[in-house]
Amino acid sequence: MKDFFKNTWKHRAHVVLALPVFLVLFFIMYVPMAGLVMAFKNFDYTLGIWKSPFNGLDNFKFLLASKATFTSITKNTIMYYVIFTALGTFLNVTLAIAIDQLVFKKMAKTMQTLMIIPVFISYAAVQFIVYAFISTDTGLINHALGLNTRFYSNASLWPYILTIVKIWKDTGYGSVLYMSVLAGIDTELYEAAEIDGAGKWRQIRHITIPSLVPMITVMLLLSVGNVMRSDTGLFYQVTRNSGVLFPTTQVIDSYVLNAIFKNSNFGFTAATSFFQSIVGLLLMLFANWLVKKIEPENALF
Amino acid sequence: MAKKDKNLDIAPSRREKKGVGQVILALILLLYTVFCAAPVVLVFIAAFTDELYITQHGFSFFPAKWSLYGVTSVLKYGKQLLVSYGVTIFITVVGTLLGLLIMSMFAYSISRKDFRLSKFLSIYLLIPMLFNGGQLSGYIVFTSYYGLKDSLLLLILPLCVSTMNVIILRTYIANSIPGELMEAAKIDGAGEYRTFFQITLPLLKPSLAAVGFMMATAYWNDWQNALLYIDSDNKKPLQLLLVNIQKSIEVLLNNANVPAAARAAMGGTIPQYSSTMATVIVVIAPIMVIYPFFQKYFIKGLTVGSVKG
Repeated sequence: MKDFFKNTWKHRAHVVLALPVFLVLFFIMYVPMAGLVMAFKNFDYTLGIWKSPFNGLDNFKFLLASKATFTSITKNTIMYYVIFTALGTFLNVTLAIAIDQLVFKKMAKTMQTLMIIPVFISYAAVQFIVYAFISTDTGLINHALGLNTRFYSNASLWPYILTIVKIWKDTGYGSVLYMSVLAGIDTELYEAAEIDGAGKWRQIRHITIPSLVPMITVMLLLSVGNVMRSDTGLFYQVTRNSGVLFPTTQVIDSYVLNAIFKNSNFGFTAATSFFQSIVGLLLMLFANWLVKKIEPENALF
Repeated sequence: MAKKDKNLDIAPSRREKKGVGQVILALILLLYTVFCAAPVVLVFIAAFTDELYITQHGFSFFPAKWSLYGVTSVLKYGKQLLVSYGVTIFITVVGTLLGLLIMSMFAYSISRKDFRLSKFLSIYLLIPMLFNGGQLSGYIVFTSYYGLKDSLLLLILPLCVSTMNVIILRTYIANSIPGELMEAAKIDGAGEYRTFFQITLPLLKPSLAAVGFMMATAYWNDWQNALLYIDSDNKKPLQLLLVNIQKSIEVLLNNANVPAAARAAMGGTIPQYSSTMATVIVVIAPIMVIYPFFQKYFIKGLTVGSVKG
């Protein structure tokens, strides 16, 4: 123990250097963690988090009582996670391989630059772009096809719309990571395969894809920790937060955001947040444990 | 045949045949590029389309009537637009620089192996990635306990430190900056602070560029914190301005029978299609202009971040 203090004193400069981040994390991340205790309290704004009275598991009973909402937002959250992750990974990898295979390198580079642009557009702006395509009266799609589809009041269309928007926004950027792996493959492997008479498809199947598998595994496993969290902007902005669309578009994060704005349902929301944080923690630990088993180098901790 | 051999000389890597397959592949990729770029192009076209044309014929890639009305009417937001630009630039610059500085200080400090507290600090850093209080609790703590409602600090601090970014910086220090260099500096009599500021920090540049660019875009594009915390006009960043424009359009659409006099009274504040699109351009253009210069850095940063989390 004395050694420890001596060591710390010797490194007091390092303590000082670490201090600002320590404080920011403390006030921005750690204190709100304690706020999760709200899930077990009857929250009253005038009393604040700490002084509000405990009410045991009442909030969770409430959560079970209004099961419909809870089930719906949880189901949507998980559904979109699965669609985005499965389709997203597939497209990221396909795009990376396609760009890598293209021999017109200059062209590939230019196209890649253009493909990445959407990721830098905020959802507050994306929302207007989507509107230009699907608004009922002035939308490009309705006018071009001579239709009169009311996209903004037809909930069943939104899983498709949101998926398309998500793919448009993230795929170009998502493929960069896999491209950097492809750039590292030893070209002699391809040459040897060609001498052995393997065609392009066989080379892709037996050299390119296997070399991507470790990265794909790691990315998928790490994403497991975020099942309960969503790209809030996509669900809040792009849908224009329209109540009609909630059955297919509201996820936990956007529900909580709405609850904050409406200043209501704090018990329910606190219980949901608690559920979200705990499940997130468990999934994260599970994912890390799995990565450690498969690719110890890529484990987070 | 001779040509092929020449190709081999230049690039002794893969022998590539520019056959039909390549052309088809190029076409498919081109199609995908159009899918990515077209919506952005539409924004630019719409900003220069005649307002009445949009109302009657909808948004179009080939409008029959052009107009500068949208672009000039952006100037109607004139003062607010300038203020918002100022706010966004301020939080982006201050937040990114502050974040880079304190995160590299922390990364430097925990990368010292003989510093025994560093183990605790690493765990302390990691926990927020695994577990967090969520939006609701954050909102209540920040507004009613810290009393920071409507403060620019809430646009800066929440995005300032991220565990992943510290890890990227730490990995870079561990892998790319030789420990001997820092030892040598110490032998030459440089204190810890001087070693950090004059040796480590300058060598961190590539990693700082990568992390910094990603941070800057996050600040530039952040609408959520602004929507949650900012009320007064003189603290509204650009993204909140966009959100407000959308909200006022909504109000207008939901009240189709707003009396003409009321509409007139609202005057220039009623956003129209072309001017809205012009505003969108104003908001997204700076990043699109700057990003190609940073492309090589963020690809590098992304790679570092994923190879060792």
